[in-house]
Amino acid sequence: MLKVLVFLPVLGAAIVAMLPERFAGWRWRVAMLSALASLGHTLWLAAAFDPAGLAIQFHESRPWNVRLGSFFALGIDGIALSMVLLTALLSLIAVLVSRRMSAGSRLYFTLVLLLESAMFGVFTARDWSLFYVFWEATLIPLFFMIDRLGGPDRQRAALNFFLYTLGGSVFMLVALLFLYDAAPGHSFAMNDMAAGGRDLPLRTQLLIFAGLFIGFGVKMPVFPLHGWLPLAHVEAPSPVSILLSGVLLKMGAYGLIRAAETLPAALLALQSALAVLALVSLVYGAVLAWRQQDLKSMVAYSSISHMGVVLLGIATLNVVGLTGAVMQMVAHGLTAAMLFLIVGLLYQRTHSRDLADYGCLLGRAPRFAFFTAFGLLAAIGLPGTAGFVAELHALVGGFSAWGAWVVLVFAGLLIGAAYGLRVIGRLCLRGLPTQEIADMTRTEAAAAGLLAVTVVALGVWPTPLIDLVAGSVDRVGRLFGG
Amino acid sequence: MSPLRDVAQLIWLVPALPLMALALVGGRVLLGRAHGDAAEPLTARLCGLAALGSLCILLLIDLGALLYGAPGYRLFGAWFASGRWQATLSFLMDPLALAVATVAALIGWLVMRFSANYLHREAGFHRFFIALCLFLAGIQLVFLSGNGLLAFVGWEMCGVSSFLLIGYAWERPTATGNALFAFITNRAGDAGFLLGLGFAAAWLGSFEWPSLTAPGALTMLSARLLAFGFIVAALAKSAQLPFTPWIARALEGPTPSSAIFYGAVMVHAGVYLMLRLSPLLAQVPDLMAGLVVAGVVTALYAWLCSLVQTDVKSALIFATVFQVALMFVAIGLGWTTLATIHLCLHAGWRTWQFLMAPSWLALAPHAPRPAPAWLQRSQLLYTAALERFWLDRLALVLLAKPTAGFAHDMQELDTQFIDRVVGEPGRGDPVQADLPLIAADGVPGRLLAGVAQRCQQVEMHLSLRGRGGAAELALRRMGLWLRTVEHLLERPRYLMMAVMATFVVIL
Repeated sequence: MLKVLVFLPVLGAAIVAMLPERFAGWRWRVAMLSALASLGHTLWLAAAFDPAGLAIQFHESRPWNVRLGSFFALGIDGIALSMVLLTALLSLIAVLVSRRMSAGSRLYFTLVLLLESAMFGVFTARDWSLFYVFWEATLIPLFFMIDRLGGPDRQRAALNFFLYTLGGSVFMLVALLFLYDAAPGHSFAMNDMAAGGRDLPLRTQLLIFAGLFIGFGVKMPVFPLHGWLPLAHVEAPSPVSILLSGVLLKMGAYGLIRAAETLPAALLALQSALAVLALVSLVYGAVLAWRQQDLKSMVAYSSISHMGVVLLGIATLNVVGLTGAVMQMVAHGLTAAMLFLIVGLLYQRTHSRDLADYGCLLGRAPRFAFFTAFGLLAAIGLPGTAGFVAELHALVGGFSAWGAWVVLVFAGLLIGAAYGLRVIGRLCLRGLPTQEIADMTRTEAAAAGLLAVTVVALGVWPTPLIDLVAGSVDRVGRLFGG
Repeated sequence: MSPLRDVAQLIWLVPALPLMALALVGGRVLLGRAHGDAAEPLTARLCGLAALGSLCILLLIDLGALLYGAPGYRLFGAWFASGRWQATLSFLMDPLALAVATVAALIGWLVMRFSANYLHREAGFHRFFIALCLFLAGIQLVFLSGNGLLAFVGWEMCGVSSFLLIGYAWERPTATGNALFAFITNRAGDAGFLLGLGFAAAWLGSFEWPSLTAPGALTMLSARLLAFGFIVAALAKSAQLPFTPWIARALEGPTPSSAIFYGAVMVHAGVYLMLRLSPLLAQVPDLMAGLVVAGVVTALYAWLCSLVQTDVKSALIFATVFQVALMFVAIGLGWTTLATIHLCLHAGWRTWQFLMAPSWLALAPHAPRPAPAWLQRSQLLYTAALERFWLDRLALVLLAKPTAGFAHDMQELDTQFIDRVVGEPGRGDPVQADLPLIAADGVPGRLLAGVAQRCQQVEMHLSLRGRGGAAELALRRMGLWLRTVEHLLERPRYLMMAVMATFVVIL
C-alpha cells in the first residue's frame, strides 16, 4: 500500500517529464491527476487506518542491505498519517495554483511530484537509513526549484538552503551511525533502534540526541539554526514556499518526535532546555515578524514563531502537549500554506512584497481581501480555526509542565496578533486608495477555499484528527510517564 | 403505553415551534421576501400556526395528565458540563407548570391572531411577529423547563423580546429610552437570578428544580441567600417595589404586546418563579414575611397611583400591578394554590381588557370617575400619586447620575492616561526611517520596538544572508584564506613540503 503511495508521484513525474513539447498544456493536467490520485490514496489509507489498532499499520519490510542491517521498511502511525494527509493536500494545492505557469513548467511539475514522493517517503519510512535517504532526497528537487525558478537572489538562497540543511543532516547522519554502533541490535529499523536506544546510558543518549537535534532543528527551524529560512522563503516561488513551510518544516518536528521515541532519557534530561529554546524561538520569530514590512519575510518569520509552539508541545512530554504539537503541525501547515499562497499571488500581480506599496484590496479584489484576512486571523489562532485548538493544547500541556512560564507564549501570540492585524488593517479595511489589481482567479480561489474550509473544519470539529493521533501520541507520552 | 402518555416526549416542541417560526420569518426578512401587503398573511399564519401547535401539544399533555397523572420531570439530554455540575435539557411537567403554560399558550395564540389585523400595514409587521415568537419560546421555557439554567435562557429571551417590542417604534426617542429603562431594570432582576443559579451550582452542584426545592438540602443561611437571589429576580420581573417604575414605561410598545407582556403573561413570570420555588421559600420564613411586606406596599402604591391615572393603559397597568402584588402576598402567606388560580384567572381577564383598551373610549358610555374626594383633599398624597412617588426621579438621582459621572471620569482617565501608556494602534514613531508602517506607540509598543531592534541585530549576525550578515562576511574571509592556501599548494615546492611534512608526522 505504502509503496504505491511513495512511488505514485514518481510515475506522474516521469510522465510529465516525458511529455513532448506539443502537449505542454497537458503537464498541469497530468500533475493534477497524479496529485489527486495521491490524495485519494491517502484518504483511503486514513479510512482504513484503525486508531485503536496496532502502533504501526500497513507495515511492510524487506531487507535492503543485509550486511548492514537496513531495511526497506514502510509503515504509518497516527502522527505519520496526519502528516501524509497534510503532504497530499498541500502538494495538490501547489500544483493547483501553478496552472498558469508556462516557463519551466516541465521542470517545475516534475520536481514537485518528485518532492511529494520524497516527503511521503520521509513520513512513512520505518527504517532510519531509509528515512535519511528520503530526507536528503527532498533537498534535490527543492534546490533546483529555488535555484531555477526563484526570485532575483535565488542562487544565493538555494545554496544557502542547501548548505544549511545538508550541514544539519551531516550531524544527523553521524548521530544515526553512532546510534547504530551503540545499540546492540545493529539494525537500522526504527523499532530495533528505539529498543536499543532506550537502554543506552544517558551520556550516549545525550550525544546522539544532540546530533539528531541539530539535523531536525535546522529543518524545523529552531532559534539559532534558522538562518536559511527567511532568505529561502523570500526567494522561493510561492508554490515552493507553500511546500517548504507547509510540509518541509514539519519533517523536522516529525523527526524530533521519532527521536523522542528512540532516546527518551535524553529528552527527559533536556526537557527544560528544549522548552527554553521553544520559547525563545516563539518570541524571537514573532518579534522579527512584527518588524518586517516585507510581507513574505513576515510570514517566514512567523513560521519560526509557530514552529516554536510545536517544539514547546513536544518538550512538554505529556499527552496533551504532544497532541497540541501534532495539531499545530497540521494547523500551521494549512495556515502558512494559505498565507504564502496569497502573498505569492499578490507578488505575482504587483511585483512588490512591501506592505507600504499596497492599497486597500476591498474594492477591486474582494476575494484577495477575504482570504488575506482569513489567513491572518487563522494564523493568529482565532477560536474556530485549527490553530486555536492546537495552541490551546500546547498551552495546557505546557502549563502542567512548567506552570506560569507559558505566559511567554502569550507574549508571542500577542505580537502575532499585532502584525497580523496591521496587515489586515492595511489591506482589508477601507481608508486607503484602492489597489488596482486583478482578483484571484477561480482556480486560485478554489485552492485557498480548500485550505480555508479545512482550517475551519479542524477548528470547529477537531475530534477526528485528535482521535487519529491519540493512539500514537499516547504511546509516545507513556514513555515519559505522562 | 397509550399515545397520550407518549405525547409528553414532545414537550420540547412547545418552545421549539415558535423558534422555528421565528427562523422562517427571519429568513424571509433577510432574503428580502417580506415586503408589502402580500407578505403579511404568510408571516401571521406561520407564527399563528406555531402558537396553535404549542397550545395543542400542551392540551394533549394536559389531557394525559388528567387521565394518568402529570408526567413530571423528564430529562432529554445534556447541554454542557463543567466541573461537577452539568447543564441539562430537562422539562418539569407538574400541574403548576402545565396549568400556567397552557394559559400562556392560549393567550399567545389569541394575541397572535389579534395582532395579524391590528398591525396590518405597520412598518415593523414582521419584526413584531419575530419578537413575539421569541417571547413565546422564552416564556414557555421559563414555565416548562426542569432546571434553573434553561429557565434563565427563557427568562433572558423574554427580556430581549420585551426590549425589542417596547422599542418597536424606534424612530421616537421616548420609545428607545423607555425600552432601555425597562431592560436595565430587568437586568437587576437577572443579576438576582444569576446569583441564585451560582449559589445553586456551588452548593448543590445542580440546577434542577427538584433538587433546588428538595427539603433539607441546604443550611438555613444558604437557603436564605439562594432564595434571596430568586426573589430579587421575581420582584423585578413582576414589577414589584422597588422595581415598579419600569412597567409603566414599558407600555410604549404596540397594544397586543402590552397585553401579553405586561398585562398577562410576562408580569406573572416572577409569581411563577416564586410558586416553583415555594418549597424552598417555606424553609426561610423571614423571606416569606418580606414577600408579604413587598406585596402589601406595592399593592398600596399601585392602588394610590391607579386612582389618579387618566389614560386607559396606565390605569390598567397599575391595576395589574395591584393584582400581582396580591399574589405575592398570598405566596408570602403560603397560599400557593390560591396564588396559582389567581394568576391564571387574572391573566385571562387582563388580556381581554388590554386588547380592548384601544376601543375603550368608544365602548365606555360615560366619562371615567374622577379621583376620590379624600385623595383630592390631601394635596401631598395626590401629588405623590400623580408623580408615582417620584420613584423614577429617585432612581435617576441615586443610580443613573452617579453612574454616568463615574463613567465620565473613567473615560477621562482612559484618554488622558491609560491610552497614552498603553498606546493606540496606528500611532507612534516608526522603528526605522525606511519602514514607515512598523510603528510603535505606548510603553509596550516601545518595548517591543526595542526588543525587535536587538533581535534584528542578532539576526544579522547569525544569518548567512545577502544583506551583509556577519556570518557571511566571516565565511567569505575564510574562503579567501582557503583560496590562498590552495594557490600555495598548487606550486610544486609547497606541495612537496606538505607531503614531506605529512611523512614526518606519520613517522
